[in-house]
Amino acid sequence: QLFFSYFKDLVGQEVTVELKNDLAIRGTLHSVDQYLNIKLENTRVVDQDKFPHMLSVRNCFIRGSVVRYVQLPPDGVDVDLLHDAARREARGA
Amino acid sequence: MVVGGLREFAHRTGNGSGTPVLEESNGEELMRVQPSVAVALGNRSLESPGTLYITSRKLIWLSDVDMAKGYAVDFLSISLHAVSRDQEAYSSPCIYTQIEVEDDEDEEDEDDTESTGALDLSKIREMRLVPSDSTQLDTLFDVFCECAELNPEPIEEEEEEEEEEHNWVFSADQMVVGGGAEEDGEWPISQSPTSVIGLSIGDEGGLAQPMLELQINDQRFDDAEEMVHESETKDH
Repeated sequence: QLFFSYFKDLVGQEVTVELKNDLAIRGTLHSVDQYLNIKLENTRVVDQDKFPHMLSVRNCFIRGSVVRYVQLPPDGVDVDLLHDAARREARGA
Repeated sequence: MVVGGLREFAHRTGNGSGTPVLEESNGEELMRVQPSVAVALGNRSLESPGTLYITSRKLIWLSDVDMAKGYAVDFLSISLHAVSRDQEAYSSPCIYTQIEVEDDEDEEDEDDTESTGALDLSKIREMRLVPSDSTQLDTLFDVFCECAELNPEPIEEEEEEEEEEHNWVFSADQMVVGGGAEEDGEWPISQSPTSVIGLSIGDEGGLAQPMLELQINDQRFDDAEEMVHESETKDH
């Protein structure tokens, strides 16, 4: 559940979600749930060549299971804290 | 249960109402019926008139005029959905959906608009649903979200607790205890509400864990204990 909690902290920030099908979508993180489904607002497609028809939608829902990466704002990440938490979680497992 | 993208669907009840037959044994329920919806698969033109049936497991579109024509796609296969009002993207306001397709190869011309013969539905990656009443779009979007949430990835070892209250978090402020109908014991009080890292002691993955255990221990010196055994044994 580490990443669920982590993403909750990022709500309101600008992120870029890269899906497993290579599509990249940029938007404001509106909410996230325990399955890491993501709702974005003010989304726009980063790679317009691959999916030209999608362009800009006001909000979208992305299924957690299709997300490959979530690109975070560099100043939105406390690396040390995340590092510690991940280490603790690994220890627990 | 076969999950694999868009497919033909023509199982209608025979009582004349023409509503789709659901898999009740699976617990499938009808969530919403939206009449007067046109559908556009991939690059193909809009097909109408039709009715959209949203069930707890899948989307079904049935033609109002051709009783043999209908399409269905499981929510498990819908990668994303959105309300599209961008007229440059598409002429009509619609719900845009992307369907997860097994990638055998990179097929550019997956949907043949020319040869109407053997259209391979399972290769369709985009589907647009255009209700004649565009004021319904936001409601439809919400219903899609609800249904997607009802269909998380199945985990083989453990059953997903789908009955558990679905916890959407909209702001970091929501992290404080008492913000929702949380069960006691799941959310120990946070002393630093702005930065909470959740920990879970359990199996791999972690997504199947219904219990969310938080531990606010900003102890960055934990490593000192772990490393002790290493420092003594090295000679050079």
